[in-house]
Parts: sequence; C-alpha cells; structure tokens
Amino acid sequence: MKIKAIALNTFKEAIRDRILYLLLFFAAVCIIFSRLLALLTVGDRVKIIKDVGLTSLSLFGALMAILMGTGLVFKEIDKKTIYTIISKPIHRYQFLLGKFFGLVLTLFIMLLLMSFIFLALVFFHTFTIEWEMFVAILFIFFELCLITSVALLFSCFSTPILSSIFSLAFYLIGHTAWGLETLIKKIPPGLGKTLAQTLYHFLPDLENFNFKTEIVQHLDIPSEAFLYSILYGIFYTLFVLIIAVLVFRKRDFI
Amino acid sequence: MKIFKSEKDLSAIFLVVLLILSCGIFMSLKIKTDNISREKIPGSSIIYIPSGQYLKYATFGNSSLLADLIYIWAIQYYSDYTIPDMYEYLDHIFSIINELDPSYLDPYDVGAVIAAYEAGDLDLALKILDRGLERNPEQWLFPYLAGHYAQMINKDHKLAQEYYKKAMDIEGVPPIVRRLYADAIFKSMDYKRALQTWLEIYETAKDERVKKIASNHLYNIKATIDIKKINEAIEKFKERYGRYPMELSQLVRAGFLDSLPKDLDGKEYIYNSRTGEVKTPIIPWKR
Repeated sequence: MKIKAIALNTFKEAIRDRILYLLLFFAAVCIIFSRLLALLTVGDRVKIIKDVGLTSLSLFGALMAILMGTGLVFKEIDKKTIYTIISKPIHRYQFLLGKFFGLVLTLFIMLLLMSFIFLALVFFHTFTIEWEMFVAILFIFFELCLITSVALLFSCFSTPILSSIFSLAFYLIGHTAWGLETLIKKIPPGLGKTLAQTLYHFLPDLENFNFKTEIVQHLDIPSEAFLYSILYGIFYTLFVLIIAVLVFRKRDFI
Repeated sequence: MKIFKSEKDLSAIFLVVLLILSCGIFMSLKIKTDNISREKIPGSSIIYIPSGQYLKYATFGNSSLLADLIYIWAIQYYSDYTIPDMYEYLDHIFSIINELDPSYLDPYDVGAVIAAYEAGDLDLALKILDRGLERNPEQWLFPYLAGHYAQMINKDHKLAQEYYKKAMDIEGVPPIVRRLYADAIFKSMDYKRALQTWLEIYETAKDERVKKIASNHLYNIKATIDIKKINEAIEKFKERYGRYPMELSQLVRAGFLDSLPKDLDGKEYIYNSRTGEVKTPIIPWKR
C-alpha cells in the first residue's frame, strides 16, 4: 500500500512536469516527420514510417526515463521533502520502489500516447491495424523499465546532470556492447579473454529488447527469444534496483 | 537497539544474496539469448538511404562524415553476395556518397570497379567516372580509368581514345596514358595516326625504356601495315596463278608490289609458301 501511495504520488508529480510534454511533442513531430522522410526514399515508404516511428518511441521514451528518473530522488533530497518521508514508518526500499513504479506508470501512459500517434500514421498508409507492432512496443517498454531503474540508481547518489550522463552512457553501452563479441574473438585465450567475456555478459544488452527490425520486416522470431528477453529485463532491473536500495540505505539524511 | 541492528544486517545480507542471484540469472540469460539465432534479411538496410541531395541538409554540416559512413557501409554491402539484386541501387548509393562529398575520390573509383567488374554494367561504371571528372576536373585518374574499362571490357577503342585524350589534357597525367592512347588508336585500326602518335612518343621519350617500348610499337605497326600489303598482293597472285608464290620477290616481279617491304630493322619478313603466311622475323616485344 505504501509503495502504491508513493507510486501514485510520483505519477501525479511526473505528469505535471513540462519536460515530459516537451519530449512528447518532439516524439510526435519525429513520428509525423517519418511521413516526409518516406517521400525521399527509394523503395517501401511504410517501412520508413515504421522504422522512424519505432525508433522515436524508443529514443524519446529513453529520454523521458533518463531526464525524469535522474531527478526522482535528488529532488526529494534537494527540496528536503525526504525528511518528511523517511520520518514516517516507511522502509527506504518502499520509497524507492514507489518512485520506480510511479515513473514506470508515467512512461507506460506516454508510450501509449506515442504508440497511438504512430499506429494511426501507419493505419493511414496501410488501412490495417498492425498488431505485431505492439510486440515491438512492449519490448521498448521493458527497455524503458530497465533504464528507469538505472536512472533511479544514479539519482540516489549523484546530481541530475551527472546522473543523466551516466544513464545515457548506460543506454549507449547497452546498444553497442555487442561489439565486444568481435573483440573477444580476436583476444587469445587466457585471463584477458575471460575478463572480456565476463564483462560482455555483465554489461547490459539492450539489443535483447530490440525486435523492431524483425517486426517491421515480418521475420520469424523464436518464442524463446521473447521469453528470455523478458526474463533478462526483469532480472537486470531487479539487480539495478537492489543496488539502488543498498546505496540509498547507506545514505545518511540526519 | 541491538535487535534492530541485527535485523538491518540480516536484510542487508538478504539484499546482497538477491543481488548476486539476480546478477547470475541475468548473465546466464544473456548467454541463452546470445545462442538464439535471429533471422536477418541480407541487405535490408538499403531501404534507409534517401537521396543524397536531401540527405546533405540533414547532416548539419557533417556531410563528409556521413559520406564516409555510407561508403564504409556500401563496401560491406557489396561484399555480401547473398543479397538478391544487390546492384539495383548501385548508382543510387554511390551518387549519394558523391553528392555528400564530391571531392571524396575513392568512392568514384570503387563504385566504378564494382559496376564494371561485379555488376558487368560498363555504362554505369563510365557514368560514375564521368561524375567524378565533372566534380573533380583536375583528376586525370577518372578519364584514364574510363578509357581503360572501355578498352579492356568493351573493346571500344574509339571511346577509349576519347577518354585517354581527356586524361592527357589534364596536368600531371603520367606518360603511360599517352601510350595507352596510341595503342587504342592502333587497335581501332587507324594505323597512320597510330604510327604518327608512337613516333611522337618515341621522339619525346625521356628515357631509354620508353624509347624501346615506342620503338617496339612502331615496329609492330609498320609490320602490320606491310604484312597487310603483302597479304593483299599474295591474294591477287593466287587469283591469277591459282597458287601461292614460291617466294615474296615473285610478287614484285609479277607487278603486284613496287618493292618488297622490309621490317623496321631492315630485315625481310618470313614467308611460308605452303600456307601463304607472312610473319615478322622476330616477335616485336622481344626485339
């Protein structure tokens, strides 16, 4: 109940944030811009609209998660409202989870709004509702949940600017870590290779949530890929949230 | 107070265990997801490339960088032979790179090589090279390559001459282009002009090696002209007497030739009276 109350409060606070609507506006512009971009291409125009649309959803969703998530705990500390909260009979993990779920709910609503614009644009071209797009959007949502947890973690001990930079770095690493595999192949067997392999498996792989290309091109996706990706998202998010709780427990506000 | 502290420690231990567990689980899930092969359409990325003319505005002054990136991508794209109809957009892709960075020379060269040798489309290769020359008029390489392709692939020696001539008009062109030009004239069977051009090359040559090359070509052209003349006389002789002459001097005695031509070294041509074949006493390139 306590988590729910904090979550709802966080949600109410988040939807009043102007930056959210600014990002929503730019996301909508980008999605609509895909129509213009499609005119300039050679080949399938709807494909361009789908690609740009899904990328906008992912990119602006990530920006929302980062820009809002990094201020979640910091704002409470900065405005000293944290004293009122932690003086109540509430565990710190409850406070953090409440903040996390509150932002996740906000992102869910925003993703729904952006998806509506995107799917309406696709419908305008194909005159069919492409339900498989929801699969890609669902995995974008899982990615956003993980990014939110990371932003929350950095928010526990750093300023919003630094937290945003760290979270953006996490996002970039998550989408480029697959490149390490090529490096690993070239490293001779030994300690270096083992370390690189461990690092490769430890670093976030946000490409696990990227089914955009397969969905747009109607490629077969093995069902276990869905299952393992969802589990991967849940456990990685849990891992980051536990670190956030451990860090937050160590903070002394008195 | 003591109990409270131990409870806090216990929850901390629980969290750390959960942390290690979740870390282990997501790492093993990562290995599992890596083992799932996900289908890809080879060459599907082609669809993302709009026209270079418009793309230039979207680069915010970084068009050279984008040209580099598309060029690198194009090399990978044309290295994957599993892509169906991969050459369909060849002109489009390279025109984008050329549009984004007109002074980037490699893409003209590489695009033309792919068009000429991989796609077997000489017209496209020449189009790319023409574009290169149009935007980089100081580059003799483009007309030189165009001439080379026209000569070697299509055996279009007249077109090759035109391109070599364009290259020769550009400052800094290496002397070999002039020699290729002379060779193209010879191969288009304009022997008189070929002789004159090779003679000029011989007279203006700055080193012995080039002089020797020009001399061999002159020998070859003269021999070709002479042998053609002798063959015509032999044909006339055969028409009249129903047989080949026993020796070439019979052609002069019978009035089919004014005098018996000799090769550039002053030696007589070798004649086979059984087959009527005339050839040079030496292979021109081994003089």
